[in-house]
Amino acid sequence: MRAVVSHRALLVVLFAVLAVLPVVANQYTLFVGNLLMLYMILALGLNLLVGFAGQLAFANAAMYGIGAYGAALLQVRLGLSYWLAAPCGAVLAMAIGTLLAFPALRLSGIYLALATLAFAQFTQWVLLHWNSVTFGAGGFPVPQPEFSALGMSPDRGIYYVSWVVTVVLLAFAWRVVRSRVGRAFVAMRDREMAAQALGVGLLRYKAMAFALSGFYAGTAGALYPAVLAYVSPEGFDLFQMVLHKAMIVVGGMGSIAGSVIGASLLVYLLEVLRQFKATQEIVFGALLLAFVLFQPRGLVDFLKRSVPGWSEPLHYASDSESAFDVAVADELVTGSRGGADR
Amino acid sequence: MSSLAVTNVSVAFGGVHALSDVSLAVDAGQIVGVIGPNGAGKTTLLNVICGVSRPDRGDVTLHGTIITGWKPSRIAGLGLGRTFQTSQLFPGMTVLENLMTGLHLRGHTGLIAAAFRTPSMKREEAEMRERALAALDFVGMRAFAGRSGTALSFGQQRVVEIARTLIGEPKILLLDEPAVGLSVPRVAELDTLLRRIRDERGVTLVMIEHVIRLVMGVSDRVIVMNSGRKIAEGRPDDIRRNPDVIEAYLGRQGDARRPAP
Amino acid sequence: MLVLSYLLVTGITTGALYALVALGIVVVYKATEVVNLAHGELFMMGGFLAYTLHVMVKLPYVPSVLLAVAGSFAIGILTDRVAFRPLMKEGLVSVLLATIGISFILKGVARVLWGGKGDYLAFPPLVSPEPMRIGNVMIMSQQLVVLLAALAVMLVFAAFFKTTRAGKFMQATASNPKAAALVGIHVSRVYMYTFGVGAAVAGASAVLMAPLTLLYPDIGFPLFIKGFAAAVLGGLTSVPGAIIGGLLVGILEQLAAGFIGTAIQDVSAFIVIMFALIFLPTGILGMRGTRKI
Repeated sequence: MRAVVSHRALLVVLFAVLAVLPVVANQYTLFVGNLLMLYMILALGLNLLVGFAGQLAFANAAMYGIGAYGAALLQVRLGLSYWLAAPCGAVLAMAIGTLLAFPALRLSGIYLALATLAFAQFTQWVLLHWNSVTFGAGGFPVPQPEFSALGMSPDRGIYYVSWVVTVVLLAFAWRVVRSRVGRAFVAMRDREMAAQALGVGLLRYKAMAFALSGFYAGTAGALYPAVLAYVSPEGFDLFQMVLHKAMIVVGGMGSIAGSVIGASLLVYLLEVLRQFKATQEIVFGALLLAFVLFQPRGLVDFLKRSVPGWSEPLHYASDSESAFDVAVADELVTGSRGGADR
Repeated sequence: MSSLAVTNVSVAFGGVHALSDVSLAVDAGQIVGVIGPNGAGKTTLLNVICGVSRPDRGDVTLHGTIITGWKPSRIAGLGLGRTFQTSQLFPGMTVLENLMTGLHLRGHTGLIAAAFRTPSMKREEAEMRERALAALDFVGMRAFAGRSGTALSFGQQRVVEIARTLIGEPKILLLDEPAVGLSVPRVAELDTLLRRIRDERGVTLVMIEHVIRLVMGVSDRVIVMNSGRKIAEGRPDDIRRNPDVIEAYLGRQGDARRPAP
Repeated sequence: MLVLSYLLVTGITTGALYALVALGIVVVYKATEVVNLAHGELFMMGGFLAYTLHVMVKLPYVPSVLLAVAGSFAIGILTDRVAFRPLMKEGLVSVLLATIGISFILKGVARVLWGGKGDYLAFPPLVSPEPMRIGNVMIMSQQLVVLLAALAVMLVFAAFFKTTRAGKFMQATASNPKAAALVGIHVSRVYMYTFGVGAAVAGASAVLMAPLTLLYPDIGFPLFIKGFAAAVLGGLTSVPGAIIGGLLVGILEQLAAGFIGTAIQDVSAFIVIMFALIFLPTGILGMRGTRKI
């Protein structure tokens, strides 16, 4: 059985390292480690929605923001304790995320993508302009939860909270995709009509996918103010949207381990390039483009082929039916593909 | 009472009458073939029955329940299965997982049960796996359980797809051109398989098909459609001699003369 | 009354520019069933190219404009080569993700070349900034020039489709790619030029808009959203629809800004998109084809 566990072994080692990090690392490394776990949660949630359920939505950064602002504002405006505000923020993001499933029933492909993109920008606008509630563009400081009862600094305390939450959500995602629910997601993504004919109710499973992904993004958001002690609209903008997308594409769409790997790699790059916004944009844009072009199944596909024990069942979409079939066929008629552009 | 009844159904797409006042009844345990030239409305009829298209007029009754306007997934829950003209295997899954998805309606696992891997969830999963393997045995495809659906040949994909639908134990199975693209020996195998599905599983079959030899050989009853209307119905031998049918096919040679393997 | 007429004139002027952005989106969508998510960045690059040529290299205005439009055309073709052609058989998700990748590359490149965040470049005005009075309506001469130029671009665009071989090929391919291929039209080449033309129109609108606003690397995306809102209002496949949609979005935005508050101006396009997609599934002219369900 030894050989079978290697994709698990990687995750176990990774999380063991993350668990001992506070003992050995300095404040900055601890912060980056914590940020990494937030991005893992975000990537997992987005992968469930896009990679598994096949709903190309662009509202992940918005859900992240709603979770963060929900948790932060409930503390600052209403004086709730963090431990009450954080779950509320996550659930709020989940509720709003679920609502997006309704347009998703009527819209698909490009329309869904742009409707959710518009929604994300709308959310960003609300965060920026609803000054009386959100404090506007400048953001606002949020007190970190206390861990003095446990004899820990807030940074270290929230780090362990994030660690537990990430492990739980990782295991949850892992189990969901290998269950009847996960198969329904993939069926819906690959062949929507056939899925329906087998009794997979689209409303139910689209709503479930949007709810799950909203909950993941919202949970990452709810941890955000406790980790950074500050919330501002900038943290949830278009760049975040691209960052999350790049994580799942680089790691591997339709792969749980891929979400973790993609998040790890990109957070590393993010820290290396922290000073240079333009370089970040170019590098992440180029990574996204390069993987879509040359390694569309992400790094896990490469691992699966080269690491003998890597047995994660991968649910990547392969040659799904596309709107371009006609076009491709026609090009064959003219003989322009292959022999193209002599 | 017939298992499946279509009563006075009409469908128009932007002024074109895809179906005009079509009625038919299918008795339990039969194989019914639906033939007709391209554009006769066969696929529209199938889509109306399984809820993909909504009829402008008329009703569809399944085991005495009027199902007109129901969602496809709900109709599936009432024991109606279908296969498609083009391969509709889920390419992102193995053959086994495809089969297990066919058991979707037999399962109950939701998010909570999946999260906690409850004993009943584990039991259900194991049971699904067993049944999926048994269904693969039934069609002689067990050896391919771990393969990706896309790695199979065209004919194999078709057979797996039938198995995937069959595994959910539908009472009625709609087949949309199951023989399209199959080689001669494969069509003969399909013929045997369809009979076995009827006889061993007691499933009623409704099949749209262009390969006349298959339809005439396997069907208990044949329905002929042309230009959105039903023009004849009867036993294969009677259909062969029906002047309206000959007329319809001679009028448009292409389909009837399509090389029947 | 004066306020209303001012708002309307401004709305029509910006609306005409949104219409041009929408035109580019519609042309590409009609042919390829893809929306280029980097369309806004093509617009932004067009503006910066014109700025570089006119302000930095000090070329006269007209050659700068022509070169900027040609540059946008080239970037559009590059988009086709890199993101669309290799991926069209992979499906919509791949193409959309690739165009997002391109949009961020372009944005980053612009930031490197023309300044970091917060650097806004001002394009010199074309004509004297004095307002003119036509009857009861006050109009900035600048706006009038832009409006006329936008109309000219639309006319050139229409003429291109009606009279040139390439334009006719594009129309034939958009309406029926299979038939187009059968009569010997090189479909993939037509797609390439379609991307180019879409980008060129975006570049042209950027050059026209530059003197009215400021140039900055993040200008593209909001413009894209407004253009897309206009395109969706018009049904996404209709050229007249895109123009009417553009004018509607422009006017709506100005009226919202004038009567509700300037903050609303930025968000009106998002609201239009969500509203149009949910309640007007076929666009105002009812011309959108059946949507995949």
